[in-house]
Amino acid sequence: MLDLIIRFSKACRSAGMRVSTSEVIDSVKQLEYIDVTDENRFKYLLRANFAKSRREQKNFDRLYDLFFHEKEPEKSPDPALQRHAEIRELIESFSGDAGQTPIDAALKAFLKGNPIPYITEMQRLETKNEYTPKGLKSNLGQLSSRLEVMLRINAMRNRLLNLPAQSGENAPEARHRAVDHLLKRLDAAYGMLTEESTPYNDGLKQIRTHKKHYSDIGERPFSSLSPREVAEMRDVIKQMIRKLKDRASRRWAARNKGVIDVRKTLRYAGRFQGIPIDIKYRNKRLRKAKIVTLCDVSGSVWSAARFMLNMLYSMQDCFSSVNSFAFVCATTDVTEIFEKNEVNQAIEKVMSNADIDFNALTDYGEVFFQFKRDHIHLLNKKTTIIIVGDGRSNYHNPRQDILAEMREKCRRIIWLNPEPEAFWGTGDSEMNTFKAFCHEVRPCRNLNQLIDFVEDLVM
Amino acid sequence: MEFQSIEEVMNRLEKVGYIASKQIATVVFLAAATKKPILVEGPAGSGKTELARALAKCLKRKKIRLQCYEGLDEAKALYEWEYAKQLLYTQMIKEKINDLLAGATSIAEAVERIADQEDAFFSERFILARPLLQAISSDNPVVLLIDEIDKADPEFEAFLLELLSDFQVSIPELGVKKAVHIPLVVLTSNNYRDMSDALKRRCIHLYIDYPKPELEKRIVGLKIPDIDSRLVDRLVSAVNNIRNLDLKKRPCISETLDWAQSLMVLQIDDLTPQVISDTLNVICKYKADADLVRAAAEKILCST
Ligand SMILES: Nc1ncnc2c1ncn2[C@@H]1O[C@H](COP(=O)(O)OP(=O)(O)O)[C@@H](O)[C@H]1O
Ligand SMILES: [Mg+2]
Repeated sequence: MLDLIIRFSKACRSAGMRVSTSEVIDSVKQLEYIDVTDENRFKYLLRANFAKSRREQKNFDRLYDLFFHEKEPEKSPDPALQRHAEIRELIESFSGDAGQTPIDAALKAFLKGNPIPYITEMQRLETKNEYTPKGLKSNLGQLSSRLEVMLRINAMRNRLLNLPAQSGENAPEARHRAVDHLLKRLDAAYGMLTEESTPYNDGLKQIRTHKKHYSDIGERPFSSLSPREVAEMRDVIKQMIRKLKDRASRRWAARNKGVIDVRKTLRYAGRFQGIPIDIKYRNKRLRKAKIVTLCDVSGSVWSAARFMLNMLYSMQDCFSSVNSFAFVCATTDVTEIFEKNEVNQAIEKVMSNADIDFNALTDYGEVFFQFKRDHIHLLNKKTTIIIVGDGRSNYHNPRQDILAEMREKCRRIIWLNPEPEAFWGTGDSEMNTFKAFCHEVRPCRNLNQLIDFVEDLVM
Repeated sequence: MEFQSIEEVMNRLEKVGYIASKQIATVVFLAAATKKPILVEGPAGSGKTELARALAKCLKRKKIRLQCYEGLDEAKALYEWEYAKQLLYTQMIKEKINDLLAGATSIAEAVERIADQEDAFFSERFILARPLLQAISSDNPVVLLIDEIDKADPEFEAFLLELLSDFQVSIPELGVKKAVHIPLVVLTSNNYRDMSDALKRRCIHLYIDYPKPELEKRIVGLKIPDIDSRLVDRLVSAVNNIRNLDLKKRPCISETLDWAQSLMVLQIDDLTPQVISDTLNVICKYKADADLVRAAAEKILCST
């Protein structure tokens, strides 16, 4: 049993779950207390120790089924031992094919009942970087490597289905069952390749309605504004920001007065023979958020990003710091531009920034990768990350694993998507994948929605 | 051991009004047997806080609750010196202090003499024990509920970690206080924030979802014994359908109970679209949600 649990913990780790040794030991200890032949209890026990948040449960369940439900042929209580010999023979026959790739080896181990190498390969595909020179980028990196695995699985499947007839006595029966078993395993492997492995995200705040602050201009999609309307929009924003700032500062003032600080009051009173001449208040320090924004500046998304930046920088004193990055297929730090220029000038400067390749294809995975490499130190538990983008990544590897890392380092991630929700996840949109790592997602197509967001952020 | 078996956990919880699923009972049993804190996650109103209450009740232990919020600190969670009381005492024993200081030739000497008496002022007498200190210094074992831990700041979580790892706290003026009994600790979270790995490692995890219809029917039957069972069937299946709608706030168990109660009071014994429309305010807190439910009333009822 110990061995089994250790192997299962290895499988979990190779699938990116964090299972510590102490958790393995805890599980083994707890096994003493329950009847392990009750499958449900066994599963609850492992889950309570291996997946310590709702987020991780989906991955756990998937691995648990893979590991404990696809019975390993060697250990299966099936008395037809013949079948096992048969299975082994069939698996070995696959090696007749051209040289062994890691995928081949992993698939064969998987068929034999050891899923770990295959899980590791899957994890590798998901977190793979595509170091191809700029401009020559293969558009379908992750997809094509998955395709390769898929082709291998299909080849094995075809072989099994087209085995030459076999002679001998009860051989056909055993052979039939062995083939059946292997086909099922291949289906499982295939399933892992295509399934969504995003975590549960119960805490996600998904905003779907908005207040009608302004009629007409408030509801007009950013992407359809004429230059005249853009100018009009700026004026409306200016007005609105003034009001909002006013409200915000009043609230800060009230909140900071705080409750009576008994200690301080008494300490002070001590100087006057215990008479509390001066009531002292507990000064709660301002809890201003640190903001990091990542803005897609390509094509239609830019019109949403620019107004978001406009508002954010106009409200700058409500935050302890604002760092901004613009991206298409690479991450460019534009913080300084906003520090040195008036907001609208800064926005124009970003637009004409030579470092940004506005014609490139958007690649979120690469953007996250570069952000992690160069700027991850900006994140701490006070940071709110705001991402403005449509999540359309041109079929590049979305690298949600990096987004997951960013999530762990910051306080929260808010994603503003300028597309209507109905389009999320269609075509090359990875929004449904990214969403699983955000704390809040909102459509952000017009001024009213943007105002709601900024209000929420500073109030 | 507190419980001999998982079945015993279920039975004893049911006796005090809590219907536990197999999963809940298994995790509670393991936590009690190995004295590990339970980290309970789940949507609002799924019975997390109630579980701690029921555990305390069936174990005949006192429940000590620490409600978490942003800005919660050690002074509110662990202990605080009672300055007012100390001050009062100094006033009352002024003369003694004067005696003590009599003959002191310099301020330094006076300070020195007072410092010698410091122990008298920083003793248990002047300590105001907050929930965490209460829980570990109680003479009888208790259930410690740390409610909505995700609302506290991450720094507080780090502080809590120390307590949960060795069930002792150090008070600089008094030294280390070790737990008299290790409390049964229940931490709850609504998932506003991810917990740190370190905290998770200390705990055993339990996710409580909305109950399966079978379980929810039993809960309603337990809390409102004279309700007609056919109505309960209809009600619970309607609530489950409502939970599948895209609502701002999905109705939880207490809303099912409230709804059942109102139908009883109104002497309604069947659900119709009209009834749903009339009693909707019991299950929907938002107008937008109510509109959605009203529009889907037919569907909510027919897929029974
Ligand atoms: N398993 C259960 N058995 C009996 N009553 C329950 C159960 N779960 C929830 N309830 C009822 O639901 C109400 C809300 O539960 P509560 O513990 O406050 O939710 P949470 O803390 O998860 O937000 C409780 O007052 C209780 O009446
Ligand atoms: Mg609660």
